[in-house]
Parts: sequence; structure tokens; C-alpha cells
Amino acid sequence: MIGFSAEPPARPVADHTAAPAPGEGADVLVHQALVYRTRRELELTAVPYLRAGCRGGEAVVVVAAPEVTAFLGGRLGAETASHVEFLDAGGWFGGPMHALATCFDRTRADWWPRGRVRLLTEPVWTGRTALEVREWKRHEAILNVAFAGTPTAIMCLYDASALPGHVVADASRTHPELAGPDGSVPSAHFTDPADFYDECNTVPLSQPPAAAACKAFSTGELPALRDFLAAEAGRLGLPGDRSLPFVLAVNEVATNIIREGGGRGALWVWAEDGELLCDVSDPGRVLTDRFLGYAPPHGRRRHEAAMWAVRRLCHIVEIRTGVDGTRLRMHVKL
Amino acid sequence: MAHPEQSRTAVGAMLPGDHACLAYDHPAERDAIMTAFVWDGLRAGDAVLYLAEAGPDTAKRRLRAVFGADDRIEVLPACGDPRAAVRSALRRGYAGVRLTVEASAAPRGRPGTARFAAFEDAVDRLVGAHRPRVTALCQYDLRWFDAGRLPALEERHGARVRADDVFDDGVLTIAPLFAPPGLRLSGVLDASTLPALVAALRDLDEGAAHLCLDLSRLDFCDLEGVRGLVEANRSTAVLDRQIILRATPGCVELMLRVSGWRDSPGIVLEATG
Repeated sequence: MIGFSAEPPARPVADHTAAPAPGEGADVLVHQALVYRTRRELELTAVPYLRAGCRGGEAVVVVAAPEVTAFLGGRLGAETASHVEFLDAGGWFGGPMHALATCFDRTRADWWPRGRVRLLTEPVWTGRTALEVREWKRHEAILNVAFAGTPTAIMCLYDASALPGHVVADASRTHPELAGPDGSVPSAHFTDPADFYDECNTVPLSQPPAAAACKAFSTGELPALRDFLAAEAGRLGLPGDRSLPFVLAVNEVATNIIREGGGRGALWVWAEDGELLCDVSDPGRVLTDRFLGYAPPHGRRRHEAAMWAVRRLCHIVEIRTGVDGTRLRMHVKL
Repeated sequence: MAHPEQSRTAVGAMLPGDHACLAYDHPAERDAIMTAFVWDGLRAGDAVLYLAEAGPDTAKRRLRAVFGADDRIEVLPACGDPRAAVRSALRRGYAGVRLTVEASAAPRGRPGTARFAAFEDAVDRLVGAHRPRVTALCQYDLRWFDAGRLPALEERHGARVRADDVFDDGVLTIAPLFAPPGLRLSGVLDASTLPALVAALRDLDEGAAHLCLDLSRLDFCDLEGVRGLVEANRSTAVLDRQIILRATPGCVELMLRVSGWRDSPGIVLEATG
């Protein structure tokens, strides 16, 4: 059902330049950016986009801040708006992996069963750390692969009057189409999602602070490692009820290193800027990170299923791999 | 019916000279424990004396189905006196005698009655007179009396026994369940202990339509373990078998949610509370 894989996709990614207009294709992803400066510009493109979905009997969903929702609702009129599901951007965009998993869950359970789904979303960029901004950009690139070959249309709103220039500029690199009042045009700057993904990985990870608690592990030492993680998480201020997801996530990574990686590794735990961080190093393995852990588990791909779970259990997971082995950094909000 | 498992000894851990009580609420549980008791005796060179309640023929057939025609196993009516048969077996040179009695229903009286006490005292004296060469296992069908009478039952025995664990490596323990049929997992289910679960599922009797996996004592379960749980139907030939996950701990709940395997076909999460 989902043409997503951490290996090269079985079928070629849809030729977006030849993609039909939203609503016309069957299993074709349409992923557009709508860059606007005024409410009028927003309305001229977004309202016809939503109306077309309602007319076509699609599942139409708006994920935006309350004031944008109110504005669009007013322009659509009560009758049309009653066919649209409005979701709050604050809850939806909690974290890039959270958003991706929620989108998968909702599309599969509620939206695809009704035919095509047509999303209008306005990602949240304010109040983000530099890392979060990078991961949200990566998220936009991943959507092209994650929902390739599915009956999905996503229009992402970018307010050029308020957003930093690099955020708007990268929207044209992560969206194959740019939407406007006269229809959409192919984005001249669209970048292959795999290249964009690799680009996001070029920023090196900082060294863990000297004060970080460190522990080496290998076969048979996972129970002790879990005790260590739970104790450190508590000491560093992670509430008790959120300790389990953290321990489960790190345990999966360590298990994978023991069973399929170099057989032994080391980890560092520390707190920084309101986050609990855990670095796990696997000196014995060079990992192939092609959208690793961004596909829902299917079949018997053990490691990919584990990384999907690890990403879901954390706020953000960074992977860096090279000749010196592999390092994973898990971020959990304190 | 819930059993206080901790107070029960695995039948395989019984020692020669024990006088133990097998309180069961499902015939499959009785058969599993009684069969292990008899096998352990035969392996140790003991004779087996089976006192059957409802006339010996039914018990004879049941024993023959499991053990074949074995002249070391003698079936007598439960109303008779086992003392002569015990002495005779010991004279014939057996290392010991394994005595098991169907003691459930009316002829013996219910726990708390004088006839019940007299019967258990007689068994106790017999075991004591030859200790440690006579080992006794009294079978009580709990469906015949209420749980309030259990203390009176236990008082008359040195121990209460349960079925042997299917697997125990100190990390994961797998115990059989009988009503409903299934397995109880205790400890840690992860990539290292998962093969034991897969083997235990493969060895299960295919007679049951559905299967209960009691997870109330599972301390930790990783993603591989959760995969093993949702794939519990992999090796079965039973059509449309449902796997009921009972008392799922937080780690299993969480992993089921984040893996998206919660809605796996044939998997039912029993509602708690």
C-alpha cells in the first residue's frame, strides 16, 4: 500500500512534473508548497484547493493555527467547511516523527478508506531550535517518499512575510510543486529527497559533554544497561512516567548493535537545554541510513522496524555514520 | 480461578516422601501434573499406584493412552485400602511407590468433614511409615467445593503442586495455563529469550480454539518480544485462532502502539480493570 522503503523504492517515484492536478490521479502523491505574503494570496489558492476536494468527495483536512483555521472556515462558508476536518497545528506538529506517524495512522485508519485525502497544513517554525528547524525541513523532504504512490495531496503553507528566508527557500527544494492562484508549477529547485536527506546529515554531532554519564555494553549486559538508563533519566529530571519510552528506545538501539552491529558499543547520557540526550556509538559498523526508520514496520525487516519504533519513542533521533562507525543521538524533551 | 502460584511447588520439584495436593479446576491441568508425577516416578524406578474414583476402567484407559501398557502402573478403586498394594510393590523391589489418588468428590467427603480428615490422615500415615519410599499426590477437583475450603485442604498436605514450567532460564519463565489454555510469561521477553516462546507456542496442544498469553508478570519486553507475541499464530494449524493478550504491561502496550502492530489480525488485547 505504501511505496516507501528504506531501500530504493520498487517502483519509480512518481514523475511530479507530469502529475495530474489534485483529485485527478489515483495513487499519486501531490506535494505542493504555497508561499504567500498576504491573507488574500493565501485565500486565492487555498480555498479553491479545499473546495475541489470537497466537491470530489475526498477527505479534506486542514492542519493550521486557530486564526488561519477561522479565516479559511469563513472564506469556505459554513456548508463547505462542515465537510472539512480542522486540526490544531500545535498538537499535530509536536515533532517531525510524531507528525509523520500521526499522519500515517490517520490516513490509514480514517482518510484513505474514503478515497483520496487532501491535506492543507501550515508547519510551525517559530520557537524551534536550529536542530528542530533542520529536522522539520527533512520531514518535508521525507513526505515525498513516505507517501509516494498513495492517494494523497498535501499543500504546505509558507508565510513569506513572517518566516526566515532559508525556511521559505528550502520549501522550494522539498516540494516538487509550487502552488499559486493559476495552478501549480514544477519547482525548479526541487531536490531529490535522498540528497536533501543526506545534506541534513552533513552537520556533525557535537561531542557529549565531559560530565555525561558513560557506559559500555555488550552481550548479556542489557538488563544492567536498562537499570542504568532508568536511574540516569530519573537523576537528570525525566518524570517517572516518561522513563519507559526512553529506556525502550535506547534498549532497541543497543540490542541492534549487539545482534546486528559491531556486537559492542558505548553510550553517553546527559541533559542539555531542556532535553535528555543519549548518544549510542557502534564503532564496529557503517550503517546505511536511507530514510532509516521513517517507514512503518512491515515484513521481517527487523532493524527498520526497530528504528521506526525508536524514532517514535523519541522527540528527534540523529544518525551519523562513517568510517569510524555509527553514532545515534536520541533527544527526549524533559 | 486464580491460584496463588508462589505457594505452589512445580510437580517436578517434589521430593521422595512428599505428600502433596493437586488442586485443579480443569482436567487438562490435572492431566499435565499427574502425567509429570507418573513419568518422574517411572524414570526413578518407582511403581505407580493409581486410586481411581469412578471405577478403574476410565483411569486405566487414560493412563494407557499416555504411558502404553506398562505393568509398573497399577490402578485400584479409590474406595479400597492401598496399604497392601504399597507393601507388595516395595517387596517386589521397586525403589519406591508413587501413589496418586482421585480424592475429589463425595466418597471422601469435602474438606472439613471427618471422613475427609480420616482419609488424608491414612495417606499421611502410609507415606510416613515408608518415608521416603512412598510419595503421594492427592487430586482435588476444585469445582466440587468452594475456594474457602482450600486452607483445610492444604493443611493436610506438605505442599501444593502446580504444573512444571515449560521453560525457565532465569531470565524468562514460561508456565502453562489450562483454563483458558495458554502460557504465562514471567521475566524478560527479548531477542535472547524469544526462541523459547516460539518453541513453547509450537509445542502447544492444537486442540484449543483460542490461546491466552498472560503477561501480568512480564517485567520487560522489547520490540522483538512484542513481534513474537503478535506472531503467536505463526506456527498454528488452527483456523482463525485468537491470541488473547492478558494483563499487558506498559512496555508491551507502548511497543504495540509505536510499532503499529496493535491491530495485527488475530490479536486481542483483553480489556483491563
